[in-house]
Amino acid sequence: MKKTARRKKDKAWTMAVPLYLFTIVFVVIPLIYIVVLSFLQKDVLWGVTNQFTLNNYAKMFDPVYGKTFLDSLKLAFATTLITTLMGYPFGYFMARLAPNRRNFVMLLVVVPFWTNALVRIYGWMILLRTKGVLNQALLALGIVDEPIKILYTYGAVLIGMVYSLLPFMILPVYSSVEKMDWSLVEAARDLGAGRIKAFFTVTLKLTLPGVLSGFVLVFVPSIGLFFLADLLGGGKIMLVGNLIKNQLLQARDWPFGAALSVVLMLMTFLIIFLYRKLTHSKDLEGFF
Amino acid sequence: MKKVFALILAAVLAIGTLAGCGTDPAGSSAGQGEGQTKDLNIFTWDGYIPQDVLDGYTEQTGVKINISNFESNEEMLTKLEATGGGDYDIVIASDYIIDIARKKGGIMHELDTSKIANYNNIDAAFQGQFYDPDNQYTIPYAAGTPVIVYDPSLVDIDIQGYEDLWNPALADSIVAMDDGRNLIGMTLKSMGKSFNETDEAVLEQAKNKLMELKPNIRTLAVNQLQDVILSGEASVGYMFASQAAMAVEANPDLKVVYPKEGMGFGIDNIIVPAKAPNLENAYSFINYILDPEVGAKISSQIYYLCPNKAAAEFLPESFTSNAALFIPSEVLKNTEFIQDVGETTAAYDKIWTEFKQQ
Repeated sequence: MKKTARRKKDKAWTMAVPLYLFTIVFVVIPLIYIVVLSFLQKDVLWGVTNQFTLNNYAKMFDPVYGKTFLDSLKLAFATTLITTLMGYPFGYFMARLAPNRRNFVMLLVVVPFWTNALVRIYGWMILLRTKGVLNQALLALGIVDEPIKILYTYGAVLIGMVYSLLPFMILPVYSSVEKMDWSLVEAARDLGAGRIKAFFTVTLKLTLPGVLSGFVLVFVPSIGLFFLADLLGGGKIMLVGNLIKNQLLQARDWPFGAALSVVLMLMTFLIIFLYRKLTHSKDLEGFF
Repeated sequence: MKKVFALILAAVLAIGTLAGCGTDPAGSSAGQGEGQTKDLNIFTWDGYIPQDVLDGYTEQTGVKINISNFESNEEMLTKLEATGGGDYDIVIASDYIIDIARKKGGIMHELDTSKIANYNNIDAAFQGQFYDPDNQYTIPYAAGTPVIVYDPSLVDIDIQGYEDLWNPALADSIVAMDDGRNLIGMTLKSMGKSFNETDEAVLEQAKNKLMELKPNIRTLAVNQLQDVILSGEASVGYMFASQAAMAVEANPDLKVVYPKEGMGFGIDNIIVPAKAPNLENAYSFINYILDPEVGAKISSQIYYLCPNKAAAEFLPESFTSNAALFIPSEVLKNTEFIQDVGETTAAYDKIWTEFKQQ
């Protein structure tokens, strides 16, 4: 009996072989390639030379390049803050709806994902133009006297960021509110806590894993959405993503681009590490 | 667990090396020496060869065309290197990358012009350039030069050159190409320097001057610059000829300016990779492209300058009257290519990064 169980366990790993192979070929090997590349030197004419160097990392301490990291983090923080302020109430009330309505709202949140993100951003460009729909409406309503310039500003980038990433805050918050044990709130109310106090001492604390998971899911991609800065910001905002793209396409400095990518990945690891430390959980709430 | 991992890693490496050894010789031997084949593999930007031109070639010769696309010249050269140039018969790419390929050597096939009956249709003004001084490897396919386009009804000043772009009257009203070499180059030109300046002190001055342009820049863009002008979002544009041409066609009141300080220039060329599998078809395709009527068909559809001098009489009036496409030859004499600047590329990148920051 014991022997057969043991044998079954031995064979179990074969089931995972395709997964291992996939991960190695498409994740591990490219990752190793990027890390190795980041320590090589750019060839003056084309490609890279086999010389080891730390210059690609040292270059990031140059204030010009360092600033792109700061700008990226600033935008990511602003995006995370706004999506939290908007996404928490949204997710909370969505979870409180009757099931059939809830499913309908869920559908509305998810539907935009059926269209390519780039296409939706072009839609925003048309809306935000000086002679666009938004300005026409504002003028017609007499709210403004002359068209306001929104497109190609920092504000436009922020709008695009929040728009693109809001669902990633709504869904984890929704998931944690939905599975919350409401009798605990009732108990708090019975013991004399007001609505607001009960919310802050019980509901918010119990749904915090959802919010933190939303933080990670919004913050991490928001560092990388460089095409928003190009399209909505008029190319006047330089994020790390834009810088990496320029290294590959314009400056042809692949090692520097690789080094930037490595640092970006390390930042992402750090954020997920902090998340795990804070929540003692291995998975992101509401997604895995 | 660790053992399993190591085993798989070893297996993957083994498969990788086997595949590496196996495919290469097989690929090249299958390709060459078979004489007439029925395929032609073209590698270029999406939509760069009009469909009716491709169809016309297939109809005439019965050769099936397979098109692969790349996004950038850099991607193209990386792929040609990876395959030893063995997957494609015809590649259309830009001048500076061809220069790099030529300096690296062994990537391009040296053309035998006696196999191209229509070779003499090429306008010599587009030949003998820095990337191929002896015309060994390239056939010019299309050319363009960045120009300034503006809407006179929205702009109070008379724009004649780059210097005018700094005029405070143009505050927040310029759309320019999101390309460091072009914009820094334009600044250098306005200072009477070269697009390819390598003196760091001069570049520092150019950086300071470029920074002063910022208040006038409404947006930088890579694609559809003509739409930014046509939608009224910006009133002045510094863009490639093809984009300017589309803007002027949609709104004939727009004015095209050939900057008086001298213009940039670019030529996209056809090259044949050294290991092209269907060499004979590559030659027949080049010959077909150089046919006067086909040449006119191409240029009038892709909106670039036409390097086929025999095509002139077949070009439609809308093409020859478009100031962005039909540039007087005395203006074209005063142009300069943007070339690879070697080590100085890093300095250009830093200036551009700083310029694009808030």
